[in-house]
Amino acid sequence: MSYFSNISSAITTLVDGMKVTMGYFVRPREHVTLQYPDEVWPIPTRNIGVGEIDSYNTIRSKLHVDFEDCIGCKACERACPVDCIDIETFKAGPEEDIGTTKNDTKIKLRVTSFTIDMSECMFCDLCTHPCPEDCIRMTPDYQFISNDNVKLEVTPEERWRDRGHLIYQFSKVSPIERAQRQAEAEKVAAAKAAAMEAKKAAAAKVAAEKAAVEQAALESAAHEAGEAPEMVTTPTANVESAPEAPQILETVVEEEAMEKLDIPMETITIAEAPVENPAPTETTAPPETSTDTEDSSKGETENG
Amino acid sequence: MIQLLANWILSFDILSGMASSVAWGLSLFIVAALIFVFVALNAIVLVYFERKVSAFMQVRLGPMRVGKFGTLQTVADALKLLQKEDIIPRMADKVLFVVGPWVILIASVVTFAAIPFSDTLLAANMNIGLFYVVSISSIVVLGIVMSGWASNNKWSLYGAMRSAAQIISYEIPVGITLIAVVAVVGSLNLQTIIEAQGGTGNLFHWIPIPLPNWFIFHSPFLFLAAFVYLIGATAEINRTPFDIPEAESELVAGFMTEFSGLRWALFFLSEYANATLVAFLVAIVFLGGWQSPFADYEGTQIGFSIITIVALMWSFFVRTKTGRLSVYPLGLSLIITIAAWLFPGFAIWMASPGIFWMLMKVGSIIFMLMWFRWTFPRLRVDQLMYVSWKVLLPLSLINLMGVAVWMWLTGEIQF
Repeated sequence: MSYFSNISSAITTLVDGMKVTMGYFVRPREHVTLQYPDEVWPIPTRNIGVGEIDSYNTIRSKLHVDFEDCIGCKACERACPVDCIDIETFKAGPEEDIGTTKNDTKIKLRVTSFTIDMSECMFCDLCTHPCPEDCIRMTPDYQFISNDNVKLEVTPEERWRDRGHLIYQFSKVSPIERAQRQAEAEKVAAAKAAAMEAKKAAAAKVAAEKAAVEQAALESAAHEAGEAPEMVTTPTANVESAPEAPQILETVVEEEAMEKLDIPMETITIAEAPVENPAPTETTAPPETSTDTEDSSKGETENG
Repeated sequence: MIQLLANWILSFDILSGMASSVAWGLSLFIVAALIFVFVALNAIVLVYFERKVSAFMQVRLGPMRVGKFGTLQTVADALKLLQKEDIIPRMADKVLFVVGPWVILIASVVTFAAIPFSDTLLAANMNIGLFYVVSISSIVVLGIVMSGWASNNKWSLYGAMRSAAQIISYEIPVGITLIAVVAVVGSLNLQTIIEAQGGTGNLFHWIPIPLPNWFIFHSPFLFLAAFVYLIGATAEINRTPFDIPEAESELVAGFMTEFSGLRWALFFLSEYANATLVAFLVAIVFLGGWQSPFADYEGTQIGFSIITIVALMWSFFVRTKTGRLSVYPLGLSLIITIAAWLFPGFAIWMASPGIFWMLMKVGSIIFMLMWFRWTFPRLRVDQLMYVSWKVLLPLSLINLMGVAVWMWLTGEIQF
């Protein structure tokens, strides 16, 4: 009799299954499919209890820069733990008006390149807080999709990673202007190098004259007073403070060079950072602060 | 239809000088092309339909991106298949590999020559129409074995052997079931079978429910026979749950494993042509073919009123059970009912036989096949043989004898 019970159970179970599928078939609006590009899941909100809730209750994803408000201070670049932000700035000319930010701050630096490598970014949000103009911020855009197929040129060393599509250029300065500014900066650097040469030569000359004079004085004193050992320390002190004197000379030379190139004086400060000009008092500073300043000396000198 | 077309061609003044044999050949070619176009378009529509049905049954959406609601999806797929590279495996039997798909396609397309779409629209009105359809459609298994053998692939060969065993097994209950109907009509002509189902009568001859004289309502035996035939035919066309010849989880794609591009498209075409053929046969043999379910003008109005009441009750039932209001069946039947009462012409059209009713019935059967496919799990090989030899074959034999006894009891035949 299991033959007939098998058949009857087969029929009842088949009818049960068909009821289930028909039940779903007549309610197609309850589908679970998400038409992805047209529909997306809502971004989860959260409240970590720090700061203003509005600025914290979204997920942190793609970085965005309001380029019109960027003053090129490089605070974000320095704050970034993974160095994924790369900014290139050039000083604007004295008559040049770049514009003002939304906080009515006058922009003095022309930001010719502002790239963020989102393949390196670790979404820590540390770059957004130092920004004085609140122009860099985390957006909830987790999809990294754009309609324009812009792929930034990567350096040959990084080409094996092929992440050009994840490096975002926020600067709206045209490549032509950027090339012009770079050429100007090279000119300035060349002038600076020439000035340095001149300064060094002058300093060496002055030092040599001074040393010669002192040597002569020392020799004459030694001759006059015979043996006077306590007097030997004074010439060394003079030699240490000798750069104080050529400092004035240096600026004079630079100003002359700038007048020739018709470029304002402040531009020099870009190239000034690598120049070692340690006054005796500065060498006594604690070692840890000095290493810090070395790391980001390029930016700090510009900010003033 | 071919003779009609030939006469129509010769009726033009310019063409009247044409020899009648040329006109005959031309109209033959036109009809053959029309049948092939029907099969191809049918496959494109049915693939879309099947994908949508399966998606809705699985709480998905199905194709949505190509065209509005994905309507052009299968067109795009067909174009893609035509563009694909024509690959013949190096160790394959090249002649059989090339011929196999064409044998399958031709065997499934040629059967449509005998299928009546309406009382006038059919290619060839044969005396042995039913026999022709059943015998020609079993050539498909030859093509399957050819392609499976030629592929020189163990999955293909397994699929082909399984297919041969399955189709040969299931043809016996299917044939005997059809013989039961032939015993009632006394003819193998498909038009005669349909004409025998006209008008209305009681359910199972004695139960006083007015229903059309379709053979599914003829007797309890033929009612069972309809389901036996549907199950057997599902197995014969290798559709799920009887798709062990191409069982994806066991045999990759069975006898289609090595095929790609156009040849694979031919398999697909013949698969849906076969499904349509089975639906046509069920509609012709058991559901009255192109006969309207309504006897006349008043029958249409009353019939649709009853359908509307049933739909209303069903809507309330669904609402009490699931808390949702299902409006589509109710709304559709209500619209048709109102139209039938308001416009007599519409009611008369609904009551008259024609291609509309044929396609409605065929569509319902195809939907039922899809419903089976997306509900039932695949049978094991031994279960498949069990169902065929131990369940369907005895049942069909009982049906055959039962129909004979029934006709003697009801006085349809006298000794």
